[in-house]
Amino acid sequence: MAKLNAADIQGFAMRGYTFPVARFVLMGIANAEGGRALLLRILDQVTTAERWDVKPDSTLNIAFTYAGLVRMGLPDATLLSFPVEFVQGMKARAPILEDSGNSAPERWDAVWRDSQVHVWVAIYGESLDVLARRCATLRQFLQETGGARILYEQDASALPDANGGYSTKEHFGYTDGFGNPDFEGADRKSQPGQGKLTADGKWVPLATGEFLLGYPDEAGEIPAGPVPHLLAKSGTFMVYRKLHQNVATFRHYLDEHGSRYAGGKEKLAAKFVGRWRDGTPLLLSPDKEDPAIVTNPARSTNFTYGEDSGGSRCPIGAHMRRVNPRDAFGFGGALINRRRIMRRGLPYGVYTPPDQPANDADEHGVIFIVLNASISRQFEFVQQQWIQYGNDSHQGSDRDPLMGAHNGQGKFMIQGDTNASNPPYMCTALPSFVETRGGDYFFMPSLTALRLIATNSVDPR
Amino acid sequence: MTNINGKTYAMTAITPMKPWKTPILKVFFFLLAHIKPLQARLVGLSFIHFARWVVIKRQAFPRLANSQPIENLSYDYLLFFSNFNGTWNQYIDAFADVLADGLNLVWRWSEKFPMSRPVTAFKRYISLVQFDTDYYYTAYPRATTNDVKAAHRVCAAVEDLGRNCNEMSPAEFSAAYLQFLVKVQKDLGSTGVGPVGT
Repeated sequence: MAKLNAADIQGFAMRGYTFPVARFVLMGIANAEGGRALLLRILDQVTTAERWDVKPDSTLNIAFTYAGLVRMGLPDATLLSFPVEFVQGMKARAPILEDSGNSAPERWDAVWRDSQVHVWVAIYGESLDVLARRCATLRQFLQETGGARILYEQDASALPDANGGYSTKEHFGYTDGFGNPDFEGADRKSQPGQGKLTADGKWVPLATGEFLLGYPDEAGEIPAGPVPHLLAKSGTFMVYRKLHQNVATFRHYLDEHGSRYAGGKEKLAAKFVGRWRDGTPLLLSPDKEDPAIVTNPARSTNFTYGEDSGGSRCPIGAHMRRVNPRDAFGFGGALINRRRIMRRGLPYGVYTPPDQPANDADEHGVIFIVLNASISRQFEFVQQQWIQYGNDSHQGSDRDPLMGAHNGQGKFMIQGDTNASNPPYMCTALPSFVETRGGDYFFMPSLTALRLIATNSVDPR
Repeated sequence: MTNINGKTYAMTAITPMKPWKTPILKVFFFLLAHIKPLQARLVGLSFIHFARWVVIKRQAFPRLANSQPIENLSYDYLLFFSNFNGTWNQYIDAFADVLADGLNLVWRWSEKFPMSRPVTAFKRYISLVQFDTDYYYTAYPRATTNDVKAAHRVCAAVEDLGRNCNEMSPAEFSAAYLQFLVKVQKDLGSTGVGPVGT
């Protein structure tokens, strides 16, 4: 595997920044000329994937919707060569994603419902002051060039912990962000359980082309991407989703069923996801949280489902087992290696501690971001076939207990055994705990591609 | 009129083979039919109802009436017919991901077959040789083959429980019911309308 050119890849595509706060600036481009002038100004602000000797206090990354690339004046041959789902955008893909009912596009936030976002600029930072400084610079560029106007600014932030710091939990109380796929060329240590399985049961990184365009993927092909090659290479496709969390509904459901389920409320919460709320995988510790596992990267993702084919430890329909089935479908995982997604994201909105009364209507949820080489083969497939449907995991039409569009009709079977504290239990009348509030599909170009776009020199073949 | 009925997809593909290659394929089919382990991977793909390949020799095409012109065909034909659950793309992806070698042995005797990997060329080939279904009946449009198999297991377990429970005390029944539930707990998914385009 050749070393990747880290200076040409946007850092966001290669690493999670682990900053506590972020601002996602959504913009509309005025016209091609102004858009290019703006992009030229921003270029040297863009954070690359180069290794940090000293961690900066903030980062900046940029991505475009299809409508944004049209507005930037890319050649027709290039525009015609993008994958259809990217051209259509996320709103048009609602039937595939099952964004319906309360998640339907006509009920999204105004910026996603009524306007067309062209550009996404993500600023991550160590504090709100740093964010404000970076945003002021961005606004100055906008003013100087007249290239774009800001449609909306979405703030996101890690939730507070008990000691006045930041936690790694989300609004439902689960520790988040364990499993991200390892791939060839990523500048970090491989973690067992995050890549793909080999025939002899070892974990190795996935092919680069599953996540970056221009490199061979798991099928031995260069992923489909736009022409010219130079525009595609080292870029990636991004899915941005604002997912609202019905915190009160979730807590109420857990209380109600936790009192009936013999394993108790915390075990029920664990069975939903496949991890205890502190992050301990049920598969490795079915009866209690175990900090020794959570804090050890060699253990926290290092497991397979083969020894739990009955689901009595981790339910077959649990969230984590659905979205990354590992070896659960047999064939040494070969059926799932081309369905992996890289996740980024942060919670947004008001945090309600467990001892305070929650409500559904407040602004709180998670900004859920996916990076992959093919939105349709990776993100959309996982969403449609594994979250909103259950046939691959032999659970019929049952949906993901946490993420599914249940609308009060959902069902989730928790497999158990003959131990009194781990009986089979069926969750019925599941409400929708999570609802889509907006988002779109984006292309995140390499630094070379950004420069081509900014200087209007994309080869018009 | 359509290849999709409820949760099931019908795929029909017909590919020409030079007649001298047909006996080679026949030998491979004979081995496949008699050596069960060779079938294991195909059988292991649980979303496939069945997959069948049939050789139609060039002289074997029916002539239904004297008014039908006599044809002199240059090629034998390989008919592939399969019903499966899930999307067309998912099906071909699975073929390429886990059955590549076996499929190559079946289809490589067909004209212009590009091999089953890389998958993009394979998909293009299948789309060129695929025929659409005129009439498609399915007994359980709201169920997949996994659902039907699971339902059979649940039915048998319910009947077992029913047969044996008449003499039981409440405590015995409670224990027997728990055993029953553990036995069928993997098989209780709902039936319903499938995702769009599948």
